[in-house]
Amino acid sequence: MPDSYLVKPDGEFLHSILDEGGEDLKKCFQCATCSVVCELSTGRKPFPRKEMIWAQWGLKDKLMADPDVWQCYQCNDCSTQCPRGARPGDVLAALRKQSVQHYAVPQFLSSWVNNTKRFPLMLLVPVVLLAVALGLRGPVEKLLSFGEPHGFYAGFFPHWLIIGFYSFFTGLVTLVAAAGVLRFWQAMKAADESSGTYAPKLGIVSSVINTLKSIFVHDKFGKCTDNASRRLSHLFAFYGFTALFVVTAWAAFDLHVMPFLGIDSFYPFGLLHPIKILANAGCVVLIYGCVKALSDRKNREAESGAGISFDMIFLWLLLIVAVTGLCTEILRFIADPGEHSAGAGGPQYAAFGVYFIHLVFVFGLLVYLPYSKFSHIVYRTTALVYAEHSGRNEVEKT
Amino acid sequence: MDEKKEKKVAVWICKGCEIGEALDIEAIEKVVISECKVELCRRHSFLCGDEGVELIQKDVQEGVNTLVIAACSPRCNADTFTFDGCFTDRVNLREHVVWSHSPNDEDTQMLAEDYLRIGIARAKRTDIPEPVLEEVDKTILVVGGGQSGMTAALEATCAGSDVVLVEKEAQLGGWLKNFSRLFPKKPPYRDPEPVDLESRIKEIEENDKITVYLGAAIAKISGQPGQFDVSIKSNGSAIDFRVGAIVQATGWKPYDASKLGHLGYGSQNVITNVQMEEFLASGKINRPSDNKPAKRIAFVQCAGSRDQEHLPYCSAVCCRVTLKQAMLARELDGETQAYVLYKDIRTPGQYEDFYRRAQEDSEIFFTKGEVISVEETTGSNLIVNMEDTLIDKQIQVEADLVVLATGMVPIAADGEAIRQYQDAQAVIETGEEGAQLEAAKETVEKLKDHEGTDILHLTYRQGPDMPALKYGFPDSHFICFPYETRRTGIYAAGCVRAPNDMDACREDAQGATLKAIQCLDLASRGATVHPRWEDMTCPDFLLHRCTQCKRCTEECPFGSLDEDEKATPMPNPTRCRRCGICMGACPERIVSFNDYSVEIVGQMIKSIEVPDEFEEKPRLLGLLCENDAYPALDTAGLKRLQHSAFIRFIPIRCLGSVNIVWVADALSKGYDGILMVGCKSGDDYQCHFIRGSELMGTRGENIREKLKQLALEEERVRVEEISISEYGKLVEIINEFAEQIDEVGLNPFKD
Repeated sequence: MPDSYLVKPDGEFLHSILDEGGEDLKKCFQCATCSVVCELSTGRKPFPRKEMIWAQWGLKDKLMADPDVWQCYQCNDCSTQCPRGARPGDVLAALRKQSVQHYAVPQFLSSWVNNTKRFPLMLLVPVVLLAVALGLRGPVEKLLSFGEPHGFYAGFFPHWLIIGFYSFFTGLVTLVAAAGVLRFWQAMKAADESSGTYAPKLGIVSSVINTLKSIFVHDKFGKCTDNASRRLSHLFAFYGFTALFVVTAWAAFDLHVMPFLGIDSFYPFGLLHPIKILANAGCVVLIYGCVKALSDRKNREAESGAGISFDMIFLWLLLIVAVTGLCTEILRFIADPGEHSAGAGGPQYAAFGVYFIHLVFVFGLLVYLPYSKFSHIVYRTTALVYAEHSGRNEVEKT
Repeated sequence: MDEKKEKKVAVWICKGCEIGEALDIEAIEKVVISECKVELCRRHSFLCGDEGVELIQKDVQEGVNTLVIAACSPRCNADTFTFDGCFTDRVNLREHVVWSHSPNDEDTQMLAEDYLRIGIARAKRTDIPEPVLEEVDKTILVVGGGQSGMTAALEATCAGSDVVLVEKEAQLGGWLKNFSRLFPKKPPYRDPEPVDLESRIKEIEENDKITVYLGAAIAKISGQPGQFDVSIKSNGSAIDFRVGAIVQATGWKPYDASKLGHLGYGSQNVITNVQMEEFLASGKINRPSDNKPAKRIAFVQCAGSRDQEHLPYCSAVCCRVTLKQAMLARELDGETQAYVLYKDIRTPGQYEDFYRRAQEDSEIFFTKGEVISVEETTGSNLIVNMEDTLIDKQIQVEADLVVLATGMVPIAADGEAIRQYQDAQAVIETGEEGAQLEAAKETVEKLKDHEGTDILHLTYRQGPDMPALKYGFPDSHFICFPYETRRTGIYAAGCVRAPNDMDACREDAQGATLKAIQCLDLASRGATVHPRWEDMTCPDFLLHRCTQCKRCTEECPFGSLDEDEKATPMPNPTRCRRCGICMGACPERIVSFNDYSVEIVGQMIKSIEVPDEFEEKPRLLGLLCENDAYPALDTAGLKRLQHSAFIRFIPIRCLGSVNIVWVADALSKGYDGILMVGCKSGDDYQCHFIRGSELMGTRGENIREKLKQLALEEERVRVEEISISEYGKLVEIINEFAEQIDEVGLNPFKD
């Protein structure tokens, strides 16, 4: 038959869904309650119903090119109302993990990063890399005759090293993520083209603007009912992280760009400096968001989903980065009460130790982004932009 | 009747339940005594109470043998007002008069008085029936030795009956012999169960009350319930015996898959679910084409089922058979993948968990859709093409083996069709040219598939087997009349009645067997079965006036009348259900019951006072079927729904029992309109006598002719069908009819 889709069940893919978060998948009997109760699902082929049967048959090609997998926020309205206990919300979460793994380069890194046993080993990588960087500090400083570092921790890890080290890896990671995003976009487009439904409704720029507007207010998240508290956790984590991202960028700018422009650096910021306030507030907010999300996972399992290692590693990582960051700050006040009086001693070693740990985890968070759940910031955004672009959400459910 | 003891009538009027407050009882008594000439007329404020009943009892002891109780509906207090040796007629003053009309109103009073006139007219002409007692053999013949037949045989012996079990094959068991495992029969309803056939066969063989004939076929069955004379041939020898009732458990055969070419049948690797059972029993599922293990098995559900071109119905078991076969195939080889391609997964009964159990297996895949075709590709591989699936609009599924889940066809014969076929053949054999010959040829062509399909070989006038209902199953309207068939004393059980699984067959066999036992018990007391349960009356045929028109023998829904060579009806009392359809059919009015006849109802119709044309009070006659319409009007009364006070209702046994002469009687008496209400006819009929309402439809033509003869308007006679729950609609019909007659005007034939 022309235009007929040849169904080839992919057993390996099916089992990875069943084993990693979607164990109730096979219970689905396609009643469509999920698509009906979902506040976000629209279109002629509403999710998560079609994703359920594709997943049941292990149809990896269809699912990997499906933007709807990323339109779900796992509020689990569908899971709590599923008459069969198939937990579509959890299945879609499992599918997102599969999607991240599928688009990651190299793929094996993703399976390592999302494995609770292997992840600690993965943290040895930044330990070694940072140690190497520290070892190179002296020779480089000598070679390039850098001036005295200012700042407590700069005595341990100078700013040029930190910024150079992370800029390098962030650049690398950005390339990897961009490659994933590009392949994802092409797959979505190809799927629509092959079914003859590719008919863009909105330009890319407008789509991006609409998507960002939506993300900033979490309006789609707000439509969830059974797990409304997740929106709050996510808002806290989102704005906490954004604040920290902004202050970090500002610090780098302040330290290394402003002097070039002939502006006096404000660094280091006093406790009452707006940047410092934003930083501290962001940190607290981020910690609150993470703790709330973790406690919901534990206490409201039915609504939140129990959480697979994919989710849990990311949440803990984020929390640890925030907590170690805060500890680093506090320990500086203890070890270095006066201005520029870095003296060797117990508190100082403790402070440097914690700082080192912080840097290791920051590496785990940022550099492993394309392989971990953190990549949802790019894949989900891409899927949402594509949905805006293709107009797939405009057709109302009937 | 006449030679029996003299009639002594007493009328009792109850004043309870608002009757006393709404009616002038003294005026009614006056009508009873001076007009109807009944000497004894008494009243009581609470007749169904102990005191009232004792007073009636006293009258009976003093010689009253006919009672007219003017109180509540005959559907209430039936036992209370039944007295030994005494005929009781009930006049419904409560539901049909005071609860449904304005109290202390002239018209309501006239209505009540007329109902007494009608009741007394009936009581004066009726007596207690003398049951027709026949010798009754209580042996039960079970036809078919599969799941249903074996159950029926064993169950009947548990109730003390002797059983003769005939089986066409050389061994008992039927399909149980072919299946390796069955659906689970007890909680948690998850895993297929083993078959235990040996112990059941042993149980039957060791049972003294069961005689088994194997390799047997029925040659002839004649007679009636309690007296069926059966001739069989068993392994070449002829055997004759007598039984009382018959349970037909002839089972099913799979739908002919050779008609399913579009689903690939004919390709070596496309098999049916019945063939799949053989594969599973052998322990190996290899492709017939190359004998390699089939690793991908596609099950095509509803193969030919729920398809107007093939079997229009759902066989109820195929989904579970597939679930079972998929599980067993997976058990034999863990690498096998099973694809279940369905229209709807249907798991009636307790089997949802069985479906869940199959779903739990990650290698059993389900999708809904329409299978369009199955094609063979290279290496005898198969491609199943589907449309409208949930996966995509059109999909293809590759498979090594395709299993077609075919449905069940009853092993039944349509007795009426066979008779029609034979009659048409006879016409052709006479060789006379004409329109009749053409019609006969057409009939033969249409019904040729029925030739030689006889199973029971009954010597009934209406054909050698039970008539079929929908889709060729000799079922009844199962919701309304479970296990009833159109041949009294013969009950269908198991898959011949309706598609069933093994456990449902067991239950079905129990039900049918119980019906057979009950039928024999009633027959032995001269009483009939459902729906005129325990009725002892029996139609009398004044055969010397019969004109051999064959209407009664052809129209009896139960085939109870046979014919002699001259086509004179030959009644079989224990086949009869006492519906009175023969009475309605007879143009010579030779059929009567002792409490229900053309004469009695005619007198009831004529007993009332029809006001003359100057009073402007129309009179309407209502003939209410007592099965659904009469109780519906009772319910309307209970709900205090008001209906016209100009209509007089007379209960009838069935619309089919209405003799056209009543219509003529009523119109010449001066009634302005006639409303007849019966049960629903059609495919999902609710007519308790199956064809009564339908026959009234065809007789309506005669009524219209009668009206034309009398130069009366067609609107004066109306036939309606309602179900028992449509009491509101019934009241609307009555009132609307009264208004319509008002518009048409009064009957010009008033005295």
